[in-house]
Amino acid sequence: MTDETQIAADPPPDTMREARAIAFGVAGWLVPGLGHALQKMWGRAITFFAVVGVLVFVGAGMRGNLFNSDGGDAFAALGYVADLGTGSFYWLAKYIEVGGPDVSHAYGDYGTRFLAAAGVLNLLAALHAYEAARGRKA
Amino acid sequence: MSPMKFHLSHLQAMLLFALLISIAFGFLSRRRPLDRMKYIAWSLLLFLLFGIGIGWAMYPFSH
Repeated sequence: MTDETQIAADPPPDTMREARAIAFGVAGWLVPGLGHALQKMWGRAITFFAVVGVLVFVGAGMRGNLFNSDGGDAFAALGYVADLGTGSFYWLAKYIEVGGPDVSHAYGDYGTRFLAAAGVLNLLAALHAYEAARGRKA
Repeated sequence: MSPMKFHLSHLQAMLLFALLISIAFGFLSRRRPLDRMKYIAWSLLLFLLFGIGIGWAMYPFSH
């Protein structure tokens, strides 16, 4: 009876592993590459940090449209979700883009794509960190 | 803070985008360095081929 109580009290290893994997995924979303850095995948960590960082830096420098929560239509909402994918870099982009977006020129439109691509790429990297922590990918 | 400005041309923006995304995909999908290099080179080539190809395919409609 005592053994049964002890077994029930300890969380099964799979639950712990799952919680750890979710934590790595969220960390990877908040700071690009952190999910991989915590798993000592240094090459991937540095690469995702640098690639997402450069995409955000250039996208904001090209005065791309950085969407916010009060967009108004479905495309703006989708853009907001994509931009939020960059995690903490969303605020970095806001800080860089002090002049606001300017999509009247082609480079402003390209900047919008750079920012959205950075977000989606970071979400993909965070998902990879989650899967790697679960042992599904290496 | 003074606003930063990058005025990249169409080709420069495409090259930078293709290079960055190819590197990220290479690191995401391959583990060994040689496999990554091959994947990055192949992905970059396809990005550029399709980008320039689609650009030329749209050329008649711009005139």
